[in-house]
Amino acid sequence: MYLLGNAAIYIGLTLAVYSFISIVAGILTKKQTLVDSGKGGVIAVFLSASVAVAVLLYALATSQFQFEYVKDYTSSELPILYKLSALWAGNAGSLLLWTFFLTMYTAMIAFSRKMRGNPMIPYISAILLVNSIFFFFILGFVAKPFILLNEIPMEGRGLNPMLQNPGMVIHPVTLYLGYVGLAVPFAFAMAALILKNMDDYWIKMTRRWTIIAWLFLSLGNIFGGQWAYVELGWGGYWAWDPVENASFMPWLTTTAFLHSVMIQERKNMLKVWNISLIVISYALTLFGTFLVRSGVLTSVHAFADSNLGMYFLIFMGVAVIGALYIVMSRYSLIKRSAGEFQSFVSKESSFLINNLLLLGAAFAVFWGTIFPLVSEAVRGTKVTVGIPFFNKVQAPILLSMMFIMAVCPLLAWQRSTVKNLKKNFIIPAILSLAGMILMVLLGIQKAWAVIGYGVIILLFITHYLEFYRGVKARRKMTKEMPIVALYRLMIKNRRRYGGYIVHIGIAFIAMGIIGSQNYDVETMKTLKAGESLDIKDYRMTYEKLDQRSEGVNDIVYADVTVFKDGKLLGKYEPEKVFYGNWEEPSSEVALHSSIAEDLYIVLSTWEEDGTATFIVKVNPMMSWLWMGSGLVVIGALFAIWNGKHKHITPKYTGAMKEVV
Amino acid sequence: MRKLLSICFIAILFVLQAFLLNTHATSPDGEYDYKSAEFKAVAAQFLCTCGCGQSHYDCDMAGCNNTDAFKKDILTMMKKGMDKDEIRHYYVKTLGEEILMAPDSKGFSLAAWVMPFAALGGAGTGVFVVIRRWVKRRDDTKTLEEDLKEADEVEGEIMSSMIEKERKKYL
Repeated sequence: MYLLGNAAIYIGLTLAVYSFISIVAGILTKKQTLVDSGKGGVIAVFLSASVAVAVLLYALATSQFQFEYVKDYTSSELPILYKLSALWAGNAGSLLLWTFFLTMYTAMIAFSRKMRGNPMIPYISAILLVNSIFFFFILGFVAKPFILLNEIPMEGRGLNPMLQNPGMVIHPVTLYLGYVGLAVPFAFAMAALILKNMDDYWIKMTRRWTIIAWLFLSLGNIFGGQWAYVELGWGGYWAWDPVENASFMPWLTTTAFLHSVMIQERKNMLKVWNISLIVISYALTLFGTFLVRSGVLTSVHAFADSNLGMYFLIFMGVAVIGALYIVMSRYSLIKRSAGEFQSFVSKESSFLINNLLLLGAAFAVFWGTIFPLVSEAVRGTKVTVGIPFFNKVQAPILLSMMFIMAVCPLLAWQRSTVKNLKKNFIIPAILSLAGMILMVLLGIQKAWAVIGYGVIILLFITHYLEFYRGVKARRKMTKEMPIVALYRLMIKNRRRYGGYIVHIGIAFIAMGIIGSQNYDVETMKTLKAGESLDIKDYRMTYEKLDQRSEGVNDIVYADVTVFKDGKLLGKYEPEKVFYGNWEEPSSEVALHSSIAEDLYIVLSTWEEDGTATFIVKVNPMMSWLWMGSGLVVIGALFAIWNGKHKHITPKYTGAMKEVV
Repeated sequence: MRKLLSICFIAILFVLQAFLLNTHATSPDGEYDYKSAEFKAVAAQFLCTCGCGQSHYDCDMAGCNNTDAFKKDILTMMKKGMDKDEIRHYYVKTLGEEILMAPDSKGFSLAAWVMPFAALGGAGTGVFVVIRRWVKRRDDTKTLEEDLKEADEVEGEIMSSMIEKERKKYL
């Protein structure tokens, strides 16, 4: 097994190098056989990565403690699901998973049915193979997953209990799929530039792959937030940790790209800008990995300190310089801008402002993340840049972003006249102002909340009007039933309405964030058995404290009964889990969710006499946040779904080459 | 008379405020609520150094003696009548700026707060200039077109045929 695992990695590296050389030689000498051989190599590289993953999974599942990695991240009593999920618990395993996804994407593109005969394929494959070579090199020489121990230990160290949660099984996988996925649009963009083929084809294909990567990044962040909320026991879902920031930055830049690419499509403008966004997004994924693997910043997510980060920094440098070289060498081709703007007030302008704000938000996150290093370099003092900084700096930027999102759908392309603005905005503006006044009258007096909810009302109305007008126009001609008209309108223009669903999802998320950040109530009380505490409309009565064992873990739990407005809600069991092979215990919160708010109960500490201390929190509108997350995913899926009505993959019309 | 009334009003407010502060600070049995809003305002400023990455307000790590002692110290200072800023000042002076959850808003650390908005302002100006140039470019072309007195009807026809084509495509 040791031999098989290691052989798979070294053969993978050799094959990746061979495939790369073969494809490049094929392109240069215009020999199809060499390109075909290289493409065959892509499959072999994928198989090598698959074998290596399969061997490590087998070793993890069967507790082969002779392997250092298995010993470090599992123990024999661990449930099989968590044994397998230890694949991404450590440096070497997670990089192996990354490599597996990368080679999988490469093989998917090289042998894509829709791209058969496309001259871009050898270029894209070669670019992605460079990435694979880098990762196989790391696996072969720096972070080796198959290191044998001199002595076989009886038991492993076990998996960090924080990672023993279904959310943590999915969160890293989706995040990696997003991270790796961003290498694909990068490869498409570079291939298009090398081929001097900046037409509609590359935009559509790049956009499609970017949405896929964006979707996985979104899912990764959503699952991460969900996990933090239920598992960490602090009642929050986003801590602006450097590693969270590392995944949020490419999310912001890809969101910017998905909007600005529409201007390129319509007006043939912003080509350099769009290419830059793709390069930045890709570079940010490598920068994020550098942050996690280098130990330069303190993070709860960080892997053990290693020199791995430096390799990523160097690779990022090489990738960015290479990309810049290609962009500059083709600058005369892409700078040609045929378009022009008719007016300051137009959909085009709103997209530019949207890009400005998204990039501004990404820069603010970047600046906050690296500021401890900047401060240390300049003053010798390493300051902390935590939640309060990011919340304060991001709030106005993201709120402005929401406002642009609200007004953009009703702005016309080319030029919005005063008449057009009046017609489109007078009613939504009056209604949102009325909503804001009503909120103030109802007692919501925090400025951020009132302004935020006012903007969200505006967003809902403008989006509703977009759907309403679309259906009305369609019905005028087709006389369909409203629901049929809505369905057909949406499936015939998936991208647009998918985007609107995402916007509505973001608005729901914003409602959840504003509500839970501004109106949460919390208390911490020590109770004797039979005593109660009151928080908002809830009364929680502490019944008893008890203990049970589950495998090697001991669980201390409290039985509590919760009433709301005097009515029984149910019995709950907040727990503290003590792990047999882990020093720190973890909290299992008791959660009662409703559409309006979550009651969040944490068992904090207890005494021998049976008194227990509870932290109880009421988090308003948390369900809206999760519902919004669901809508974001649905909207993105709707946008990329290849319906029967329309083949999204466009026909390649660019330059043909001798080799494909 | 009016002056007297306003003095009375202010006095009542002070009494009420003192009463509210007092009732919030401790519960009837003397146990302090470390999750109260006024404690949050103070404790959420300081980073817990146990490695949890959270503020002292949020840290609930079992056996974290660090945060227990810190919370008690904060409470003692609050009981002495020190406000949020005074307590902050005290800790920054004693333990350095590292203890804060967010950079201070003075000296070099001010750059942390200012830079994102300065960058946004600069980039915003750039976007404005670019849009203005593009709009101007269009206006120049338009003037030229007007001079040439090209017939709008032809363009109108092309436009309506394009709209018709789009309509058919989407229906």
